Amino acid sequence: MTQAKATLHGNGDLRQTLVVVFLRGAADGLALMPPVGDDDYYRARPFTAVSKTAALKLNDRFGLNPLMNALEPAVKEGALTAVHCVGSGDTTRSHFEAQDLMEHGGHTGGGWLGRFLRFREQSSGGALSAIALGQAVPESLRGAPAATAMQSLDDFSFSGGDKFVQSLKQLYGGQTGVFGARARDTFNALGRIRELHAKDYSPANGADYGGDRFARELRLAAQLIKARVGVEAVTIDLDGWDTHLSQGPFISPLMRRLANGLTAFRRDLGAAMRQTTVVVMTEFGRRVSENSALGTDHGRGGTMFVLGGDGAEGRVIADWPGLKRDALVGPGDLPVTTDYRDVLAPVLRRHAPDADMVKVFPDHTPKLLGQADANA
Amino acid sequence: MEFNRRRFLQAGGTAALMGTAGCDAPHKALWPYTGLPHEAKPPFAPPSSESIDLATHTLNRLTFGARPGQHERILRLAKREEDAVAKFIDEQLAPEKINDERAEFRVHKFETLALAPIGEFYEFQPRLLRDELTRATLTRAIYSERQLYEVMVRFWSDHFNIDISKGECKWLKPADDRDVIRPHALGTFPELLAASAKSQAMLTYLDGRANRVRKPGDKPNENYARELLELHTLGVHGGYTQQDVMEIARCLSGWRIGRGLFQTGKVQFEPGLHDARAKTVLGQAIPARDGLDGRNDFDDVLRIVAAHPSTGRHIAAKLCQRFIADEPPAAAIDTVAGAFTKTKGDIRETLRALFATDEFRGTRGNKFKQPLHFLASALRATDAETDAGKPLANYLVRMGHMPFEYPAPDGYPAHAEPWMSTLLWRWNFAAKLAQGQIKGTRIQHERLAKRAGDSAKLAAHLLGRQPSDDELAAAKASENPLGLLLASPSFQWS
Repeated sequence: MTQAKATLHGNGDLRQTLVVVFLRGAADGLALMPPVGDDDYYRARPFTAVSKTAALKLNDRFGLNPLMNALEPAVKEGALTAVHCVGSGDTTRSHFEAQDLMEHGGHTGGGWLGRFLRFREQSSGGALSAIALGQAVPESLRGAPAATAMQSLDDFSFSGGDKFVQSLKQLYGGQTGVFGARARDTFNALGRIRELHAKDYSPANGADYGGDRFARELRLAAQLIKARVGVEAVTIDLDGWDTHLSQGPFISPLMRRLANGLTAFRRDLGAAMRQTTVVVMTEFGRRVSENSALGTDHGRGGTMFVLGGDGAEGRVIADWPGLKRDALVGPGDLPVTTDYRDVLAPVLRRHAPDADMVKVFPDHTPKLLGQADANA
Repeated sequence: MEFNRRRFLQAGGTAALMGTAGCDAPHKALWPYTGLPHEAKPPFAPPSSESIDLATHTLNRLTFGARPGQHERILRLAKREEDAVAKFIDEQLAPEKINDERAEFRVHKFETLALAPIGEFYEFQPRLLRDELTRATLTRAIYSERQLYEVMVRFWSDHFNIDISKGECKWLKPADDRDVIRPHALGTFPELLAASAKSQAMLTYLDGRANRVRKPGDKPNENYARELLELHTLGVHGGYTQQDVMEIARCLSGWRIGRGLFQTGKVQFEPGLHDARAKTVLGQAIPARDGLDGRNDFDDVLRIVAAHPSTGRHIAAKLCQRFIADEPPAAAIDTVAGAFTKTKGDIRETLRALFATDEFRGTRGNKFKQPLHFLASALRATDAETDAGKPLANYLVRMGHMPFEYPAPDGYPAHAEPWMSTLLWRWNFAAKLAQGQIKGTRIQHERLAKRAGDSAKLAAHLLGRQPSDDELAAAKASENPLGLLLASPSFQWS
């Protein structure tokens, strides 16, 4: 596998793709992944708690919010890892600072995803290796060897016509060495981009994406991955999780969108999911107790999800302190017991064993995460 | 090259006038109000040689690419090409004598470049600071007449790389660019190094401000000390030990950045955070120093590392890699290192020696352009008008070469291989530029064609030599000849 990778540049048929979904605004981990087996949860959230019977069971303590029932097949097939009390060691409760810090991968410059793509032993990514779905390239991709923001397939077009490409082929045909090889890669990529534009996209396996923006972006991500243009990283944002008041009506549709989108994506990719991992993250979690406006305020420990297809998923990772007052930090928040980089590092190693992890997370030494004790 | 505040304000007034016209780049109709002389756009003669001649080669290496007529202008400086090129090099090595008001006028509108004192930067949105600094950088690369100076500003920005997205560098890097890199880019290396070592942005980026020794036994932060030796001065095989790193870290402990009224952003020495005991750095003893005297360690360390023979060799090798070849010949490095040592790190004289080597003069067309060089050279060659805004800069993001965004201390690589995966975006950029599809950037095709004379001459100008029959045929068949030539293999190299 490693050898094959070294000889495949640019289009990288064997490349794996990492899709990073950032839930901006600090998603409420206790709503997404409620500890329905913990009685204190019901005391802290008398009005907004999820009932044990309604939740989609992950293990004896945790469930998924029933609004995310679409993820049931992924849970049953062991494709989803859910992490609780996860976050950054920094105690800032500012969205901007916390997102910045998390996207940089610590107190450092540049984004962790950008460094992951740049600092490889064998090859750094091709021209289309990183795609940011949205208007701008996020902080996580800063410093990437290539990063393209796109909102639709049109942003991905090559503006030279057939004759332009023909003329380029004539001039580049005689080039040798690495330069010639990269030119040939680029012509291959152009051919695949052309195919992308030539036919309408229909998702496979009856995958049913919704009409919302998140679903459209995931659909586009699936399309690009299947077209094998060499995409190694995709970033997608899902905004609107900052729910200080009347949390329910605001995050219910978001949770549905998140679960439906991921489920359609997984179904659509089918076998290609083996080379794909989706990571869902957020800057921090929310206060354990709901506030008087039935919302929640900024907290610390939150949740992450990893959706993959290579059999390494299907776990609950939660070093759970309980919800008693003395287990909480600050004004009543879940502590961070798992560093988000310890969740990311094994995923990155799987995607590119030659990545220089010291450069990806320069101020963090990743720890190995153990299997969570399902009955603890 | 100090910034003149009054001139800035005057020009700012004019910029405001142009702002009301709803136009970002100085509009042609408004040039008369700028007080700048009319810019002539006469016909020009392109290079006529079949291979890259010395004048084109010199333009390729000392500038971000030839503008229309620049080759011809060099040849007119003297009767013999040799002498003419020597004069051009002399001109470029004395940027303070080059009138650059046309380019400076363009960057005057980026008002955050002039903020002072440094605490003022904290009052602004980091995004605005970054955008203005990036736009100014691109604008200068494209329009400045002081081309070698701008090339060296980029060289040192990579040598003393600071990633603007790290912590407070968001606010501090613009001042580092203005007060450290630009004033010393063609000055002396020891002064440049000293300025960088006390730069607020560098103290932040490499944690110098966090290097504190409160009591004996406290472990100093070694980050800056290590990069100072490995990257900024001696080089990784320059003959230092881990012990030297630790000793230098102790010497440099105690420097911090002030906070509060009138103190924000000021670099201060704090004796209570400094390791006062004696040290030995690269074999030289530094005595124990109490109280404020401890600050003298700083000057001692920088003097020792700047004068170390490995430093001259390291800088010479990097300059040769930038100006001669990815794997520069040892003889050239020896010559350049000799000049560096002899002149105590005078950057101009070091470069003068480099440009006089046979290796420099004889190794042509073998340097792969970094994306910023490619982009600027395409805009310069076509005499494009650009506001250097987002749609242009986005091509640098796609090609992984945004100024100030390299995510490690060693700066963007100067050799070809890492950049060769960017062809798709080079071709796309070339095609779109020629088709007028980059917002904020325009080429006047007719004027350019008329000035060049005919299509073969325009091709010779773009390629810096007579085009081959294949190139002419391919350009003609492409239906976008200008774009095709900018995307062609030759245009990717300098």
